[in-house]
Amino acid sequence: MSSAVDTTGIEKVRDWILGRHPDRTELAFDVNIIESRLVDSLSFVELVYAIEDASGAEIDFDTIDVEDFQTLNTIQRAFFA
Amino acid sequence: MTQVRPAAVLPRVGVDLVPLSRIPQLLTPGSGPALDRMLTPEERRLSDEAGAAGRLAAKEAVFKLFGATAGPLPWLATEILPGPGGRPRVRLTGRAAHLAEEAGLGPIDVSISHDGGWAIAVAAAVAVPPHIPAHVDERETS
Repeated sequence: MSSAVDTTGIEKVRDWILGRHPDRTELAFDVNIIESRLVDSLSFVELVYAIEDASGAEIDFDTIDVEDFQTLNTIQRAFFA
Repeated sequence: MTQVRPAAVLPRVGVDLVPLSRIPQLLTPGSGPALDRMLTPEERRLSDEAGAAGRLAAKEAVFKLFGATAGPLPWLATEILPGPGGRPRVRLTGRAAHLAEEAGLGPIDVSISHDGGWAIAVAAAVAVPPHIPAHVDERETS
């Protein structure tokens, strides 16, 4: 029996980020999206919404750990594991 | 006449700019709208597009004074409201007030300007080390 991981949610988040940057066609899961400014402080709030939309979970903005939002890998572990 | 100055009282400055073109994007339903998590209802009521961009820039400028890296900007706890003479004033609550206290900040002043499709804001304060009570006059003369 295989235990396939559902990657639909994190792919939605990746597509949302790529949709904001038409100059890019790929986004590796280990790229730091904050340091590379793919997500800035204004779009960070939108990213939170995008993750909520993709995961179906509500995120409390006041208790956010920004470390969870550094890469697609950390987002996946924090919200789609 | 003697003057006593604490050794480690430091000015802090924060600056940020926001293009007005970001505001409609932050208002689209698909984004949340994100602006509802960034401006309080009172701020929303007071803001046209330029006002909203100016407030966001001011909040970011204030956040830079905190020197905080662990959490996101506490948007709704950092309010930019009309002050005396039409100057903007800063009201901090919750986590924003806590971060200001941790940074040892005195009163925060902000200035906002708009031109060419951009809003820019500067925030300034004095950081007072925790062991020096903020209410003590920093200069003594006799």
